[in-house]
Amino acid sequence: MRLNDALKWGLLVWMAVVIWAAFQWAPSAVGFQGESARIVFFHVPTAWVATLAFLVSCVASILYLWRRDPMNDVRAASSAALGLLFALLATVTGSIFARIMWGSYWNWDPRETSITFLLLIYAAYFALRAAVADPERRATLAAVYAILAFVTVPFLVFVVPRIWWSLHPDTIINKQGTIKMDSRMFQVLMGSLIGFTGLFVWLYTIECRIERIRQRRQQELL
Amino acid sequence: MSNWLAELTAVFVKDLRAEFRTKVSLNAVGLFALTTLAAVSYTIGPYRIAEADRPFLLGALLWIVIFFASMAGLDRSFVKEEETHTAALLRLAAHPLVVWAGKLLFNLVLLIVLMAILVPLYCVLMGYRVESPWWFLAVLATGGYTLAVTTTMVAAIIARAMSRGALFSVLSLPLLLPLLIFVIQGTTAASQGEVDGVLSTLRAVISLGGIMTVLSVFLFPVVWND
Amino acid sequence: MSGSVSIGFEGVAKRYDARVIFKGVSGDAVPGRILVITGPNGSGKSTLVRILCGLARPTVGRIEWRLGREPPMARDEWRRHLGVVAPAMSVYEELTAMENLQFFARVRGLGPMEPRCRECLEQVGLDPDRQTQVMGFSTGMVQRLKIAQAMLHDPPVLMFDEPGSNLDPTGQDWLEGFTRSAADDGRTIVLATNDRCEMTWGDDRVELAG
Repeated sequence: MRLNDALKWGLLVWMAVVIWAAFQWAPSAVGFQGESARIVFFHVPTAWVATLAFLVSCVASILYLWRRDPMNDVRAASSAALGLLFALLATVTGSIFARIMWGSYWNWDPRETSITFLLLIYAAYFALRAAVADPERRATLAAVYAILAFVTVPFLVFVVPRIWWSLHPDTIINKQGTIKMDSRMFQVLMGSLIGFTGLFVWLYTIECRIERIRQRRQQELL
Repeated sequence: MSNWLAELTAVFVKDLRAEFRTKVSLNAVGLFALTTLAAVSYTIGPYRIAEADRPFLLGALLWIVIFFASMAGLDRSFVKEEETHTAALLRLAAHPLVVWAGKLLFNLVLLIVLMAILVPLYCVLMGYRVESPWWFLAVLATGGYTLAVTTTMVAAIIARAMSRGALFSVLSLPLLLPLLIFVIQGTTAASQGEVDGVLSTLRAVISLGGIMTVLSVFLFPVVWND
Repeated sequence: MSGSVSIGFEGVAKRYDARVIFKGVSGDAVPGRILVITGPNGSGKSTLVRILCGLARPTVGRIEWRLGREPPMARDEWRRHLGVVAPAMSVYEELTAMENLQFFARVRGLGPMEPRCRECLEQVGLDPDRQTQVMGFSTGMVQRLKIAQAMLHDPPVLMFDEPGSNLDPTGQDWLEGFTRSAADDGRTIVLATNDRCEMTWGDDRVELAG
């Protein structure tokens, strides 16, 4: 318990520092409207966490189908719920940025399409879960769907040819894989990534614990 | 092995026979496609789209009609079994993969019939000129197969849920989005005679179809037997 | 018949979220004997039958099917040795009686089995109606077709859920004779019922509390 508490408070401090650094310590980016580039410190990590959550959900789904341990279904669903939240955040922050920079909220460039795609998958996943009453069947069907969805993601993200001009600023990683950001900005971004990942892990752990207790109480009825 | 073929054929023939006697899926899919085609043809017609945009827009519209027509009827072979309570005896009599293959075949036939009627009509009514008809057919064939194999899995899933009609579309469309993008690009390329574009599409669609097939072989029994 | 099958189940429970259907159900179905499952409406008799068939999973508990003295069979093997008649399990309405039976024979990998199908139809008294679509059958006729379908492949295990429902008194007498002789042939019979008469057919009993 002590370690968990320490980590929790550590996360709080870390995020506070990240937020401060995002606004004060990192320099303004050249070529962006005003201070709007600072949104990258929050937008990119939320998109990253949305994808990470999906990965966790899929791994848990595969494990569920393999071992039929109900906790894996809990993990899959909890991770997906958080993933949906972060995907929404990523879409909204991205959209705000697009409006400031290019005057329109949405343009269907490859990255925007990918995050929408992820949102659609999450929405479908929860629609499916809501439609099944039997808990074992719900777990099985949801797990199968998560795996099917997971397989189509690489096709959308990597294989769809980027034949159209992308609005997305390639300030982070360009085609050669080198990093073109100012070093301070890069540090804050990495810090934010770690912080958001920590936030995800924390929320995910709590969510799983609550569900485990709920399941145990239901099991006791037997 | 030969037993499997006979068993699979039994499932396929049974679905075909039942469909022939009631024509529910065919009506749903066919009417949807023809109505949509009439609407598109009437409002847009062969003249409203600028020449430069025609290959792409007409390709996109065609596939949108095909996709939504599929949503109208491709889940029926599974949903009907659950709704009429015949699924239980089928589960007890047949091997899961036999059921999968038989119903996939049925969905493929349904899709082929749909495309055979829709595509020529579409090209005529919308004035869609295709430079490379054989490549065009290749895109239709591979795209159709991948569409069928994906929707067969989704149909199996939603049949086990309290499926209201919308759930099939809600679950299918995210899975079909990459396919939709690919086949539209491929059809555009085929209509302009760009073989490279078609080939890259075919590669993507075939690999997507292949992966879905392999996944179905593993996952369908799980869904069916649950 | 492929050999005698015994079914043992222990501590079987089923729950849907917070609702417990039944718990702590145990019993044995052995060759040559009729196991009767009874209980008030809603006690889960049909659910238990589905679990014993392998069509549903129990929330907790073990079910074992053994062929002779061999180790327990895998769940997906059970269906080969099983014939079921249940209200919630229907035959195909758009097909004729003969087409239904031949379909089930074919899909089990037994080929069209025309003579055997006709034999089963004769036994249940449906031979004259074999070319009629099931859509046009009375409920009694449908029930008899289901019984024909269950015995088509000569299974060592027969499970009946309210089999006498929809049958007239003649049909019910015939069913009793059929069930007893099936048991005498060494088959394992499971019968879920509320009917007082049918309950007397049983040699062993499992009661669900409800």
